[in-house]
Amino acid sequence: MDQKKRILIAGVILIMILGVVLGVDYLQRQNAAAQAPANMPPGSIPIYVDDTFVGSFIPDDLSQLPAVSFVDAEEGKTQDGWLLRDVLLLYLGEDNLQDQSQVTVSSSSREKGKTLSWAEVENQKNMVMFDLSGRGTLKLVSVIPGFDIRDSWIQDVDKIEITSP
Amino acid sequence: MKQRYFSTFQLILLALFSALIIVAKIALRTPLQLSGHSGIFWMAIIIVGARVVPKLGASSLIGVTSGLLASFMGLGDFGALNTFLSYAIVGVVSDLILWILRGDTENIVVAIIVGIFGHLGKFLTKWLFGIITGAPIGFVALGLLRAFISYVVFGAIGGILGWLTLKALKRAGFFAYMAEKR
Repeated sequence: MDQKKRILIAGVILIMILGVVLGVDYLQRQNAAAQAPANMPPGSIPIYVDDTFVGSFIPDDLSQLPAVSFVDAEEGKTQDGWLLRDVLLLYLGEDNLQDQSQVTVSSSSREKGKTLSWAEVENQKNMVMFDLSGRGTLKLVSVIPGFDIRDSWIQDVDKIEITSP
Repeated sequence: MKQRYFSTFQLILLALFSALIIVAKIALRTPLQLSGHSGIFWMAIIIVGARVVPKLGASSLIGVTSGLLASFMGLGDFGALNTFLSYAIVGVVSDLILWILRGDTENIVVAIIVGIFGHLGKFLTKWLFGIITGAPIGFVALGLLRAFISYVVFGAIGGILGWLTLKALKRAGFFAYMAEKR
């Protein structure tokens, strides 16, 4: 087999891999859409207030939110995305959130979660925000001491819960 | 006495290339906020390493060693196993493609293909890990397509950079010097 043929086959394999990846992603989205409530698009993040579903954070909302970024001290990488504060204010409004309200952001696949007070989330200096990971899922990051290293951040976020005192 | 597959000198070179990947990953910062942009230097190092030690398994060894180093240094967001496999697979896939294409990275097309597939190996490992661990589907629709294209493009650029480096090394007489050393 000559080199040209091999290169051509490599191109075909590349297209096949892309097809498989997009095909599996499509099936996953269909599956997620079938399981989620009717008003919750696949990939969106549900928001619960005191165990009651109030809505889901969807990609369309991103255009309404200001983008923010910071450079993490650990690896010097730029984390950019949208403040959790802005996401919650968009859905709940300031009246529904008190300083003592507890905001829990969790990932079921990674079995991780982080609970912060609304006062911590609201303080923009803390940069409690969602960064879009390489595979398109959301990662909760911040500069709060103790919650400013990669190990503590919440990758693959799939739930936001707010509990009022 | 039976000759070893890799000489001590070659193993040292491969270990240096592995360390270079880690150093580049930590020290080199590009202002590109796109997934997979590290493939630019990553694949260049793999391609240069595979030519400096032109034996099947050289890239795999660079990948595995850099994976071990990265895991112990706590690099990556998704745990040590994910980090190790995604680093190792870059080398293994590069080796596989070099073997299929008869391993001439001095041909720019081959270098680009090795760069693309080697880097895609990392993307596929992370993607498969996401599926296995039940990670949620992407927040942004077509985010996966964007990431895929990004990995292909940066892998290809890495391939070109590696090819250019090899060309410069050849012009500087590096390979003639290495041949004398052997």
